[in-house]
Amino acid sequence: MSDQATRVLLIEDNPGDADLVRLRLVEGNSAVEVNCVERLADGIASLGLHPPSVVLLDLNLPDSHGAETFRTVLAHSPDVPVVILSGQDDEALALKAVHQGVQDYLVKSDITSKQLERAMRYAVERQGLLRSLEITRKQQLEFKNQFLSHVSHELRTPLTCIHQYVTILLDGLAGPLAPEQSDHLKTVLKSVNQLHAMIRDLLEATRAESGKLRVEPRCISIGELVQQAVTMMRPIAGERQIGLEIGLDNRIPLVYADPDRILEVLINLIDNAIKFTPLEGSVIVRACIVEADEDAVYVSVSDTGRGISPDAKALIFERLYQDPNSVDNNRSGLGLGLFICKELVRLHGGKIWLASDPGQGSTFTFTLPVYSLAKLLSPAIVHEQRLRDNIVLVKVELTPPSKTARGNWREVWQQALETLRRCVYLDKDLVLPPIGGSAAAQTFFVIASTDLQHAGIMMARIRGQLERNQELKACATLVISAVPVDFAVPPADTSLDEQVQAVANRVTEMIMCSMTGQPASPGNGQAASNSIRQVQSIPKESS
Amino acid sequence: MSKPKILIVDDDPDLRRALRLRLRANNYDTVHAPDGYSAIAVAQKEHPDLILLDLGLPAGDGFVVLERLQNIDSLAGVPVVVLTARDPQNNEERALKGGAAAFFQKPVDNTELLDVIRASLTDSRTPGIRPS
Repeated sequence: MSDQATRVLLIEDNPGDADLVRLRLVEGNSAVEVNCVERLADGIASLGLHPPSVVLLDLNLPDSHGAETFRTVLAHSPDVPVVILSGQDDEALALKAVHQGVQDYLVKSDITSKQLERAMRYAVERQGLLRSLEITRKQQLEFKNQFLSHVSHELRTPLTCIHQYVTILLDGLAGPLAPEQSDHLKTVLKSVNQLHAMIRDLLEATRAESGKLRVEPRCISIGELVQQAVTMMRPIAGERQIGLEIGLDNRIPLVYADPDRILEVLINLIDNAIKFTPLEGSVIVRACIVEADEDAVYVSVSDTGRGISPDAKALIFERLYQDPNSVDNNRSGLGLGLFICKELVRLHGGKIWLASDPGQGSTFTFTLPVYSLAKLLSPAIVHEQRLRDNIVLVKVELTPPSKTARGNWREVWQQALETLRRCVYLDKDLVLPPIGGSAAAQTFFVIASTDLQHAGIMMARIRGQLERNQELKACATLVISAVPVDFAVPPADTSLDEQVQAVANRVTEMIMCSMTGQPASPGNGQAASNSIRQVQSIPKESS
Repeated sequence: MSKPKILIVDDDPDLRRALRLRLRANNYDTVHAPDGYSAIAVAQKEHPDLILLDLGLPAGDGFVVLERLQNIDSLAGVPVVVLTARDPQNNEERALKGGAAAFFQKPVDNTELLDVIRASLTDSRTPGIRPS
């Protein structure tokens, strides 16, 4: 019997109201078990311990009021149906609650047992339906993603074959070609590359949708990336006699971004711009800073195409969107490029938008966060609203023995970075993001909020952990050194932010000197008289 | 000095033929295997200097081949370059941890592939760098 009883959790602090509801519940025909609590905290605890069939909820409780009450319950147990017991004066709020996921509300003074029974039964049914719809939706999404991933894999196999034979012919490995034959084959190769790009986009969009896109930000120069993208796209622009220019602000700070991913975004935007610009038009890629927003670098790609209508503007970053007016372009692609760009920029903490008027060309702009060492350092070097007493810069240099296969070194390098992150205290140390372009850097820097003696212990730990990695042992030599960050004790009236900035500047200076091989000049404080250097050539013979 | 010998493992005969043409034109000798089982057999008989390995294979997929190779003393030091249509996101790390020297997704840029093959062969011929 008790298996079929409706388990009701009644959260109501007024004893009179609680008794009334209890009475109405018992009057009804169906079996009910009522658990009554007065405080929201007790209700939440009970939800976790004995999930009820339905919650009857008063909004004004000793420990919670109004909208906060139902939001807390919904956030805690999204799958349990909630019926609100409202007073006459808060019916409007109860209605708002229904819009936000509460199943129903009853005005306390008018409750009849029939009405209550019905409201609870319907609430349970509706909630069940919603849940099964949600499960179905998730399954369908998962199925679709698996399907797309499978399709893109299967398409690659024949595509690889076409690619291989076309390049064999083009490279003359099967005999000399007449110029006309060579031209035709180049057209085939171009189409193969387009197909390849579409397959890649399909998989990327699938990943973006299922939250599996990853970015690995580091400290990079956006100017260099723009140069690289433009160099790569110049031949395509040249074919259509479109001018491709660069406009770089002189003083762009470094940005905190994944170079491979941002190159992908730039190429996508430039490719689009070229595609929608008539012969002999021009495309310009700019990077600049904006005074009102000094935490971001603005990167834009402008064209002299026919522009984009306001209707299309609203939808252009959506998946599968195609410009319906692009009749002159028989190969417009899958309509995934801008969606992927949007997701990639979003994952970097930036935003992307479009400014365009029909006939006036279009400008796509995205922002990237400025690389701020001060911001990254702050949680590690500030403790209880003041700078820590000792800060040490630890340098870890890994050297591959010779030109190792690219994939292998990258992997080793990545493992080393992960190992380093495990060797530090999260609250007071920081492994700085790798510096440089897409090629894997070989030097890591760690900021440790400690003195030199304790830094020595950390270095030993790092060395021990790195040496345990077989791959590293097989192919790298390792040098670890530590230098105290010698910053002047700040005057009492300097703000904490300024102090952190001063340390960040000093650290930057020290890293620059260390990368270029110059001895670091003494900072504002006492000269760095002492330092530790542990040279460790990992034994080459495997033990 | 004799030409380096590369074992091409792929279940697609057309692609095997294309890779053979490409590699021979770049002064490598090639031997072939169409599935996981014969990959091991051919490797034991021919002692290649490098193995170009597909992952989706009949009779023992690429990961099985990688594992078997690591357990055969005479083959454990032979560099393996993976060339597969599979998604790097789920397979690259696993392959590299399983002992592969490099990972490429199909279709591959020939220049990049040849560069890595050359580098892997150099590494494996320098004594003491890879555990033998």
